[in-house]
Amino acid sequence: MSQAKSYDSAFDRFLAVPLAGYILLIVVLVGGVFSRITWDSVRAAFGEDALLPAIWLTIVTSLASTALSAAVALPSGYVLARRRFPAQVVVDTLLDMPIVLPPLIMGLSILIFFNTSVGRFIDRGIWDEGLFIYQPAGIVLVQFVIGCAIATRVVKAGFEALDPRYEEMAMSLGANRPKAFYKVVLPSILPSLLAATVISWARIFGLFGPVLLVAGTMARRTQIMPTTVYLETSSGNLDVALVVGAMMILISAATLVAFKKLGGKGLIW
Amino acid sequence: MVSDPSPPRDVSAATDATMPGIEIRGLGFSIGSFAMEGLDLTVARDEYCVLTGPNGAGKTLLVRLICGLHFPAAGTISIDGAAVQDAPPWERGIGYVPQDGILFPNRDVRGNIAFGLEVRKVPTEERDTLVQEKAERMGIAHLLDRRPGGLSGGERQKVCIARALVFGPRVVLLDEPVSAIDESARDDVCRLLRAMRDERPVTVLHVSHNSRETELVADRVVNMRAGGIVDGHVCRQAGERVAEGTAS
Repeated sequence: MSQAKSYDSAFDRFLAVPLAGYILLIVVLVGGVFSRITWDSVRAAFGEDALLPAIWLTIVTSLASTALSAAVALPSGYVLARRRFPAQVVVDTLLDMPIVLPPLIMGLSILIFFNTSVGRFIDRGIWDEGLFIYQPAGIVLVQFVIGCAIATRVVKAGFEALDPRYEEMAMSLGANRPKAFYKVVLPSILPSLLAATVISWARIFGLFGPVLLVAGTMARRTQIMPTTVYLETSSGNLDVALVVGAMMILISAATLVAFKKLGGKGLIW
Repeated sequence: MVSDPSPPRDVSAATDATMPGIEIRGLGFSIGSFAMEGLDLTVARDEYCVLTGPNGAGKTLLVRLICGLHFPAAGTISIDGAAVQDAPPWERGIGYVPQDGILFPNRDVRGNIAFGLEVRKVPTEERDTLVQEKAERMGIAHLLDRRPGGLSGGERQKVCIARALVFGPRVVLLDEPVSAIDESARDDVCRLLRAMRDERPVTVLHVSHNSRETELVADRVVNMRAGGIVDGHVCRQAGERVAEGTAS
């Protein structure tokens, strides 16, 4: 037994070398951000009026778009995983577009859409100031377009991994389709839905280019944390940019750790 | 005294007591290269019928068709005299035990057994009593708080049987229900299945490859091959009703 263990662990160590190298690279990069932060730079960052509204707007918009993404991804993932329909390949390919295309292209597409007569009506038909362009709702829209595709992919994979016979069993025992979905499918898919939520949130949280294109970066109106980093770097306030960047790293890390801890304890899956 | 819960919209609930438990006429269905054509089968009311046949004969498919998990391309399926071939599975009021002991992973054993009672809105207290009774009968009361992940194949099948019987269905479909139970316990479970059928009248169609299993439970054996019924024989005289059942 000890011989096999020794053989396996040597091989495992060999396989782990690239991983160790990559992790080291991440630690060096992230550590570099924190190493440059001083109390003065923290004070300077929080001395800026626009920072707290930017943090607040980042949290609110990312949570809103994540919730929207999850709400659309759940039924979409189910249909894509369980049903066969005409043009499924086309639908599947279109769903991949927001994932594979550079986010900037998606932002540009949204901007072009709102420049058409239909887009203008949607944006300014109700409210003269506009609903999306240079508005907080524009941030949510951009984040949703990209986040929803990722969430749908993850949820679809979850449904594909879930044995369809669970649903059949529920129906044979007297549950109609909605009841079978609610009582058996939904609780079983919850881990995938949670994973989809966290992964799409992580992607949405740091989104910068398309947000800048569609919503701009107006202080206390459409400025969010990623655009703050851009603004502060552009204007030479690297110390403030690093503080905001470090906060983004901490928020992301805390969310991901909480997600893994909850999962590990079996509270969610 | 706990009442026997009845299905909410069971199309077979208000039917003619003189009709066969399961009556299939001219059943047609195809899937891939497999085709079932003009299949006829009658299982008398309250008969315990065992369906045998080689692998790929279409036994599981037939059970799934009766259960409503597939819809036939042709023919009729009647449960206690009511045509159900177009009814969804939740309206057929059938107790179904699938192969492989499929249990809901998000529920413990108690929750699994209670599922059919829960969707029929049986009051919690009555539900708990019925679940406890059925679990004790199947010898799985000690597993009630366990998650399906930690159960053996045999235990899973016992839970599946309890889950299919607990809501008092008029027709029960058992697809190799004891295949994963170890041989020493298999006879006991078969005797138990037979005893339950004798205590509470119910029509049973039981798929099996095992002659010992068949001997223990069957009123009649029907053989299936290549998507059709080839022959059948009565193997015990359990009453007049058994004699009415014929493999056509």
